[in-house]
Amino acid sequence: MLNLPFPSRRHFLRSLSAASMLLPGIVQELLAAEGSAAGPHFPPKAKRVIFLFMTGGVSHIDSFDPKPKLFVDHGKEIKAEHPEIKNRPGYEHIYLKRPQWEFRPHGQCGTEISTLFPSIAECVDDIALVRSMQTSHSNHFNATLGMHTGSFTFARPSLGSWLSYGLGSMNRNLPTFIVLAPQQPYAGGQVWAADFLPAEHQGTWVIPGPEPVANIKRRVSSARLQEIELAALRQRNADHLAARAGDPQLAARISSFETAAGMQLAVPEAFDLSRESDATLALYGLQRGQTTGFGWQCLAARRLAERGVRFVELIDVGSSNNWDAHGDMLTHAPLAKNVDQPIAGLLRDLKGRGLFEDTLVVWTTEFGRTPFNNSAEAKGREHHNWAFSSWLAGAGVRTGTVYGETDEYGLQVVKDPVHVHDFHATILHLMGFDHTRLTFRHSGRDYRLTDVRGEIVKGLLA
Amino acid sequence: MRGVVGIVAVVVLQLRLHADDPNEFFERHIRPVLHEQCRKCHGPEKQKAGLRVDSREALLRGGDSGPALVPGDPEASLLIKAVRHSLADLKMPPPTEAPKLAAEVLADLEAWVKAGAFFPVTTVASPGSKHWAFQPVHKPAVHALRGVNPVDAFLGTTNAPSADPRRLIRRMTYDLTGLPPSPEEVDEFAQSFWKSDSAQIRDEAINQLLDRLLASPAYGERWGRKWLDVVRYADTAGENTDRPLRDAWRYRNYVIAAYNHDTPYDQFVREQIAGDLLAAADPRQYAQLIPATGYLAIARRFGHDIDKDMHLTYEDVIDTLGKSVLGLSLGCARCHNHKYDPVTTRDYYGLYGIFSSTKFAYPGCEPNQKVRDMVPLWTPDEMASKRKPFDDQLVALDSAIKKIKASQTERWNTMRQALTNPPTFLAAAMTSDNGGQAAPLCFSVKVGDMVRLSIESCEPSRQLIARVEFLVEVGDGGQAWWNLSTDVLGDFLDANPHGDRYGQPATWCFLDARKPLEVLTDTVRDFEGKKGLHLWRHGDGPAAFVNASDVSLTAWSAILPPHSLFLRTAPDGPVGVAWISPISRNVRLSCRVTDVNSGGTGGMWKLEHFAMNIGAPMTEIAGLNEELQRSQQTRAELVAREPKVPLAYAVTEGNPADAPLQKRGDPDQPGEIIPRKNLDLLGGQRTSDPKASGRSDLARWLTDPTNSLTARVMVNRIWQGHFGCGIVATPNDFGARGAPPTYPQLLDWLAATFVEKGWSIKAMHRLIMTSSAYRQAGRDSAPFSSNGRPSKPQASPDSPPLVSRPFHPFPSRRLEAEEIRDTLLALSGELDRESGEGHPFPPETATFTQHTPFKAIYESRKRSVYLMTQRIQRHPFLALFDGPDTNASTAERGLSTVPTQALFFMNDPFFHAAAEAFSKQLLKSPAAGRVRLAHRLCFQREPSESERADAVQFLEAYRAELNDLGPEQRDLAAWSAYARTLLASNELLYLD
Repeated sequence: MLNLPFPSRRHFLRSLSAASMLLPGIVQELLAAEGSAAGPHFPPKAKRVIFLFMTGGVSHIDSFDPKPKLFVDHGKEIKAEHPEIKNRPGYEHIYLKRPQWEFRPHGQCGTEISTLFPSIAECVDDIALVRSMQTSHSNHFNATLGMHTGSFTFARPSLGSWLSYGLGSMNRNLPTFIVLAPQQPYAGGQVWAADFLPAEHQGTWVIPGPEPVANIKRRVSSARLQEIELAALRQRNADHLAARAGDPQLAARISSFETAAGMQLAVPEAFDLSRESDATLALYGLQRGQTTGFGWQCLAARRLAERGVRFVELIDVGSSNNWDAHGDMLTHAPLAKNVDQPIAGLLRDLKGRGLFEDTLVVWTTEFGRTPFNNSAEAKGREHHNWAFSSWLAGAGVRTGTVYGETDEYGLQVVKDPVHVHDFHATILHLMGFDHTRLTFRHSGRDYRLTDVRGEIVKGLLA
Repeated sequence: MRGVVGIVAVVVLQLRLHADDPNEFFERHIRPVLHEQCRKCHGPEKQKAGLRVDSREALLRGGDSGPALVPGDPEASLLIKAVRHSLADLKMPPPTEAPKLAAEVLADLEAWVKAGAFFPVTTVASPGSKHWAFQPVHKPAVHALRGVNPVDAFLGTTNAPSADPRRLIRRMTYDLTGLPPSPEEVDEFAQSFWKSDSAQIRDEAINQLLDRLLASPAYGERWGRKWLDVVRYADTAGENTDRPLRDAWRYRNYVIAAYNHDTPYDQFVREQIAGDLLAAADPRQYAQLIPATGYLAIARRFGHDIDKDMHLTYEDVIDTLGKSVLGLSLGCARCHNHKYDPVTTRDYYGLYGIFSSTKFAYPGCEPNQKVRDMVPLWTPDEMASKRKPFDDQLVALDSAIKKIKASQTERWNTMRQALTNPPTFLAAAMTSDNGGQAAPLCFSVKVGDMVRLSIESCEPSRQLIARVEFLVEVGDGGQAWWNLSTDVLGDFLDANPHGDRYGQPATWCFLDARKPLEVLTDTVRDFEGKKGLHLWRHGDGPAAFVNASDVSLTAWSAILPPHSLFLRTAPDGPVGVAWISPISRNVRLSCRVTDVNSGGTGGMWKLEHFAMNIGAPMTEIAGLNEELQRSQQTRAELVAREPKVPLAYAVTEGNPADAPLQKRGDPDQPGEIIPRKNLDLLGGQRTSDPKASGRSDLARWLTDPTNSLTARVMVNRIWQGHFGCGIVATPNDFGARGAPPTYPQLLDWLAATFVEKGWSIKAMHRLIMTSSAYRQAGRDSAPFSSNGRPSKPQASPDSPPLVSRPFHPFPSRRLEAEEIRDTLLALSGELDRESGEGHPFPPETATFTQHTPFKAIYESRKRSVYLMTQRIQRHPFLALFDGPDTNASTAERGLSTVPTQALFFMNDPFFHAAAEAFSKQLLKSPAAGRVRLAHRLCFQREPSESERADAVQFLEAYRAELNDLGPEQRDLAAWSAYARTLLASNELLYLD
């Protein structure tokens, strides 16, 4: 692998092999033990998660939760002790507001989905739709944090970090938890933070574009130069280690350079879509050469899933110009168009490659939107944490099913509520964990994703 | 969870036992039922309806429906009613989840309650005050020979082999300053160390080194940072927009200074809790003490409207206070009594009242961006002498200005009233007719009459711009004349009404002609940056303006010839200019109005004569204008000299009041009022003055020498700072769930000594760092080869250790994030050692929302402790190398080794720049000595022969790959690469 045209060639090679002869045993052991839990509590249904997060609050009543009565009663005044209108000037009276999109039954299961998501609707037989989601806060920041960490106020480890911690890595050349997001979401990096879990479980934020991971591009002008440099470093470190009786910390750091060198190749390869066929690109609605857009994120997610990344989160847009349609519900249309075909393409591609059997796909948002506004003519909808829709697909999921129900206007959950904590408990269950036992001792307390709550939603399980 | 479950792993025997022994009866018949049937919803995991069933106290306290248990009276006990299903709305276990309990079980429960509901106390999770950390500190006797450091006597490290001096100085310098020692410092220390084999001489060398290091400002920068970790310091508020905290840095610098001054730790704690109150009593220290309560103020803010979530901020304060000073997690007690430590919700709300009686600086948030309640660093006296005169003057000036304006308004009103008679029409025309020229008009005027020229656009909503020439002559002009342009061009913006060349103050007036008499009041100098283009106007409405320059200018796509005056109509009405007659004579008036809009459709102009005396009030107004200008000028000068009060992000006294307990931590469910008080654990005293917040009392309680925690917690932190791990391995948790001390006697001896030595942190450094334990050799006991000297024999192991747990080798540690960055900057010669102050934040008027939160990274060459750190967004470098959590107290840094760190050392631009700068330093010195210099700078040692040879080979190999570069570039590239192999090495990154 090294071919240095000077007398010390053998010297360098010797140093290399010396280092690697010394290391493998210790290093592998180390890596296995390093800051991870002992693995799943029971055989998991899925090996990995692709988490699709629509930021800003998708209107459930315009997308996945049909409310014919809301069309009929448009303009009718209602009363509600709602957190978004409490003591808010101009909101003394509220009126029902009809959805802007029509609903039609789809697939064998006949689940009704609106024309907002025509492609996802075609995949409805592969998903388990939850129409009774609930969350504890009606603010973007808090609800987004809650959906990711189970905590609505304090910084806590993210769902992806918990799973990375619980499951460990399948590919040391790639991070276990990767977030593909063009911009910062609400609550910023807290959304993918490992917090008190070991740092390796922190989500690696990848901004779609030419350099997806920080410092992944070789800075010196040739691979040869880098090899010379790394070999010299390796030798120096090996000598240092030899005098210290194989100190595991030092050995781990030496091996981290090997992994980094692997990442330097593996990461760009994982994000290089050039070998994908035209048919595959078309499935995601991608142009050849394109390195941005939700289609790119979805296809990159499939590639990362194939390469053993445990948790891939895709966030569609950032903390502005998103689904937060206070002003006009029609702003949902381009946002839906941005994600609809790519998501359907992802589901089909996963199925086609047999990845659907051991991949869990989660689609969610932080909260829904109000079926009312302060005038029937208002074009937008407000934040609504009482009810919204999410869905699961893939491994271990009872597909083609609808779970839970809201009232005739989509205002309140009337059957089988699924709080964010329950949603988390169910995801952990599918990944082989008892959510009450996936814990980490911090500040004298055993913390867990679901805090002191969470019930597994059995109705979503196959 | 584990402990309690373990105890109850009791097999339920179906066989009925005689119930003589209440304990046995309970364990056999009651506990299994409570555990299996109730615990899931009413145990340590969940407390549905606020109820727990795992202790007698909990059952007596009950839940939302009241006490669950009345010992001796099953009929009155809610527990019995619920399991009997005798209440319609309270059936337990819930019929949807489990069948009703068997009659036999019901009978057991009834019998148990009837017999007094015996519940063995051993099941109470809290060990109460028996826990070691809550016992008073007793200074143990030290059994050691003279000259033996007591630390070694406790550890049995009296004869531990010592590290060689170059390693010692590296260890000590990083430990105390976070920076590498220079080669000269290493040489000097090694020389004095080797001067003699006498232990005394060596101790002397070490003491001298300690003196130097502890006196360095870098000491406070390193150790202050450790405290900043513990108090989760950040430069932003952490609410939904992560508002920047402009003045938080003063607290950061206060901490650094306190360490550098060796402020006694008890005083340090008191200042941080009640610095403002201490400052009131000590004006000389005022500016130093005020920022100290930043300790409280930097508490995290939560949510959208932070005032609504202050209960969470108080929790953050109480929890951080508990962890940082007492080593206790108090936050749990917000919702329920602490499960493991003797801390109750009453304790929690007793402290809560103290903080809710305190006014916290307000950083602003999305719905209310305005910063308030910042604390001046000036004493009330200084405020009175330095600030008050300014404020008073400003108030006086503002009131004078207001008065002048009122007088002017009054006169305008008088004039408007005088305008009741319609004016005499003189002339009118289209600007497009005859070039807009009025033939000379002759008429008679009286002093004070007004002749008004007004212009209106022909096309509605189109704003016409017309050049205006206006001339009034007496006789044939030989006696007197008034030319508008000549009179006003030179000092157009000085006044409106404007004077004439005869010194009359109010001859010309520029008017908003949409109203009967409305003067234009707003001025713009050099409109759109065009020099000489000055405006009088009303918003974007009517305007009179001049091009006083020597060239044509363009504005509103009209070409404006030089030395001319123009009028621009309002979109909805006319604009005007008036001549106010200073004389009573026959006059001759000529004027010309030229449309300068290219392709303009023109407009209409009109001349009117208002024959009523408005000259007098107009003159008065002009006079007042001068007065107004003088006052405004004075005000501007005053404001420019404004004595700026330096502010701290700190706290002051608020409205003192006891706080109600919040049921299950919910502020919307207030319960009983809890008096402000000390923790029961520390004595439980109430605050002394109901009219004060109680922070003075709290500061005293926390630092009372009889308090068993404060000194222990702090000496443990100091120990941890030197050895990587505390005597108590959980530095923020000395409670029942924390780790027990590995050397309890040593801990107590240190704690007692700490207090005896006046809580001096530097004294503890000296004590610990002069011990053999600290000076021990590391894992690598390779001989020291500096100056070709042979390795000295280590102390002989004559006497066996006092305890059986030898304490070696010295634990190695990775450099912390700040040490890595500071070392790279120091070695590259780029480090700016000046202390940092504030950050270049956006102006205070900038607004942030949750959609567009504050987010910034400020580059700096100062030490990393001065980097701006945020709460929602972590600093990427600090995050990569396990920097502190800015949201919660960090008791110990993580020490992760992840490939993304390796990528930093391979490809990061900052690292490459540092290596290049380092290699440029090396290249300045003679070629022969560079490898040696590099090793001495990075590793405080000489390179070995093979290292020298490797370096030569490396440089050759690297240069050979760069044939296309010039020799100098090749050299720089090769040396930079070589520098990277040193700077990225484990030897640099690890300290042993």
